[in-house]
Amino acid sequence: MTSKTSSPRKGGASRSGATDTSDVIPLRYGDDPYVWACWLYYEDGMTQGEIADAMGVSRATVNSYLADAREKGIVNISLEPARLASLTIAQELKRHFGLADCLVVPSDDNARPLIDSLGVAGAMALQKLMKSGDTLAVSWGRTVMSVGEHADVQALQDATVVQATGGTTAAFSYTPDLCAASIARAIGARCVGITAPAIVKSGELRQMLLDEPLLQEQFATLAQANRILFGISSLRPNSTIHTSGFFDTVSLQDYLAAGAVGVVAGRFIDERGRPVAGPLDDRTVGISLDMLRRIGTRIAVAGGFDKVPALLAALRGGYANVLITDAATGHGILRADGVTGLDTRISQRPKLAQTPSSYRAHVKKFLNNPNEVVEEMLDGVVRAHRDYIEPINGSHRALVAKSGPRPGKVGLVIGGGTGHEPCFLGYVGKGLADAVAVGNIFSSPPPDPIVQCAVAASGGEGVLFVYGNYAGDVMNFEMAAEIAEEKGIAVRTVLTTDDIASSPIEDREGRRGVAGNFFIFKIAGAACDRGLSLDACEAVTRKANVRTYTVGVALEPCSMPQTRRHNFEIGPDDMEIGMGIHGEPGVTRERIKPADDITDAIMDNIFKEMKPTAGDRVAVLVNSFGATPLMELYILYRRVAQRLAAKNIEIEANWIGHYCTSLDMVGASISILHLDQELTDLLHHPCETAFLRIN
Amino acid sequence: MQTFSNASSGAIVLSLAERIIENRAYLSEIDGKIGDGDHGVNMAKGFGMAADRLKDKDTTLSEALDTLGTVLMTEIGGSMGPLYGVMFTEFAEKLDGVPAIDAATYSTMLHAGLEGIQSIGSAKVGDKTLIDTLVPAVEAFDGATANGKSFDEALDALVVAAEAGRDSTRDLVAKIGRASRLGERSLGVLDAGATSCAIILKELSLGARARLA
Repeated sequence: MTSKTSSPRKGGASRSGATDTSDVIPLRYGDDPYVWACWLYYEDGMTQGEIADAMGVSRATVNSYLADAREKGIVNISLEPARLASLTIAQELKRHFGLADCLVVPSDDNARPLIDSLGVAGAMALQKLMKSGDTLAVSWGRTVMSVGEHADVQALQDATVVQATGGTTAAFSYTPDLCAASIARAIGARCVGITAPAIVKSGELRQMLLDEPLLQEQFATLAQANRILFGISSLRPNSTIHTSGFFDTVSLQDYLAAGAVGVVAGRFIDERGRPVAGPLDDRTVGISLDMLRRIGTRIAVAGGFDKVPALLAALRGGYANVLITDAATGHGILRADGVTGLDTRISQRPKLAQTPSSYRAHVKKFLNNPNEVVEEMLDGVVRAHRDYIEPINGSHRALVAKSGPRPGKVGLVIGGGTGHEPCFLGYVGKGLADAVAVGNIFSSPPPDPIVQCAVAASGGEGVLFVYGNYAGDVMNFEMAAEIAEEKGIAVRTVLTTDDIASSPIEDREGRRGVAGNFFIFKIAGAACDRGLSLDACEAVTRKANVRTYTVGVALEPCSMPQTRRHNFEIGPDDMEIGMGIHGEPGVTRERIKPADDITDAIMDNIFKEMKPTAGDRVAVLVNSFGATPLMELYILYRRVAQRLAAKNIEIEANWIGHYCTSLDMVGASISILHLDQELTDLLHHPCETAFLRIN
Repeated sequence: MQTFSNASSGAIVLSLAERIIENRAYLSEIDGKIGDGDHGVNMAKGFGMAADRLKDKDTTLSEALDTLGTVLMTEIGGSMGPLYGVMFTEFAEKLDGVPAIDAATYSTMLHAGLEGIQSIGSAKVGDKTLIDTLVPAVEAFDGATANGKSFDEALDALVVAAEAGRDSTRDLVAKIGRASRLGERSLGVLDAGATSCAIILKELSLGARARLA
């Protein structure tokens, strides 16, 4: 077994490898660069960069030597067999059931009883998953209690624990209230009980209890839970469920006869995970299965071979997305669900994920889960801007303006990919856009949310779609327009094409929509808010698009949250004039110049098409692509104003800041809206949105 | 003449979804080298949603393909959603009402899917996209049947050509989409769309082949 030594060398100070710096492999490594690279990495503790220097090859080559060395078996990394088996089973459970996470404790750990091992593992999961401000619902059972006994999570603020069901007889030591209290203590959370019996005599009594203000308040807390911790009970004859007192008052025969195999938070499920109906359903006070499934993080902790059918049912039903169990149980679940070949895999080393090529350094970002960035951002957006926008039918992918749509008004729907914030959702509100459809990063939303936006925005006078001219957006918005038309909503579309660098003037229709969106949306929103007809709204929006001119300049590329690498490169002394907001090619790549020279190049391009005459009026937008600070934007604006003044062009209004970004791209764009009287009036029309307010 | 039954063959779409979900990480990884790095996640999401709707149902292949196409077209977004969405709904339309699918129907289906994609996208062979997998696969299938090969032999030829087409993208410079920004640097990396397309065509054709009678 080889391991990376614990004292990696720093810098080149004592780099003995340096004496070997040459294209000739030192004798002792034979003729094998793989062995040499592995020795420097695993034994000498050098970094890949240092090895590249020492061997006189690129970092990418070192990286591939190290990866290939594992493939070729030159390096074997071994793990203790029991741990390896647990990891393999956890990975397979995660993959097979699409879990967010899975923790499997070794089964042959005789040091302590299974219930304690599961408690420790559950405690570890709470440590990792709980965040300040969370509300954790807690079900009951011996294993859940064990988690409470082993957990000790410090430094959480404003956490709440809420009982997931009503209470039971205190004949046993892991009642719902004791479990909740124990977990609350362990994580330093406020504890909210459900102060009613878990099972009451009749449906009428349950309804009366639920009408009580105190219980309503407790259920309101339960409805806010964003995580839940629960055990899973088997219905086999030896299960504790029969002696627990929870279901003391009835026979379980009704449920068993109906095919129930397990109990989740006091509710019965069959082998496929479907709810099983029975006499207790309307007598149970506690979380329903539907409520449970809507909770984001659903941690099931359970083990023991007798629980395999119940656990499998709970996984098939999607009740848990984080599973904590033991190796024997996990193995049993997989076999019961037809996963074969696991045994051979357990006896071999697992195929290690290939080391990603790392010839460029990763960019640092504030991330939790890279696959959830859009959802997490939208959660924040909806919380932050609730005065202006609200989700349509609960979906964050379709947001409607509060007090925006109204009967008799043409609805304005905008949208596109994310990564451009505050575009597009920052421009939704009264007097501007009525609804926005939100896609993934740099990727169009699908038709469904767009249709929802159209329906929500419709006031009976038709809906105007305004969005940037990109292939994906056009495909999806066109499909949505067809569906909306089928629903009886008249739809008109204006594609924004303000990026004059993206295509020559003869191909104006083929140009991209970029930061000038800001002006075009503003004009469209004002026209709609003034009660103009659909024809008139479309016409003035087209005019605004034709009279908006944008050119962008990028100094550094942006990096995607999923890869945290730059998508392309711009040389150390280069800049690219005319780059699009996803990094699409510009007109020229040239050496970076002083800010005024860059501004002049942009303004010359704009003037060439705009053909202004003295006395004309314009609106100016100087927009950051994400990472360029206001300081530099003002330097650009200064020169824009000088150039306009020299031509005797009046600046009617200006905006400077982040208005249409490209994640963390370094760069800026300048947009000019060439005003006439109608556009000037509409520009000053009042609006109330998160990122633009005009009174 | 070899045919397979449309009835109950909806299960092929479920195994298709399984392959895509299995390859989620792999597809995202190759996409990450020259693209956004989200291809696997988005594909797995769409195919998984379709599989959920089809699970435990006994459907015809055409019904199952229609469900898959509709989900991809209406709920995934981006460019891949509409492109694969149109391909599968076109597949479904051509199989609809055909009880026993023969090689001629299969070819009609493949062509309809290809034409659907070409009607909304502009990629050509050599642009380093899924077209580089799809076009040679369809050609290989037609070529095999034209040479008097049986349905199962034609399906084998299709799979071989799809994988060769996918591998050809390694030596191509991207001309379309975000990867085109990298120019020469996109050389040496498989295209994620061409790779997922090869997985799809292979699983579909193996499913058909196993049901031939």
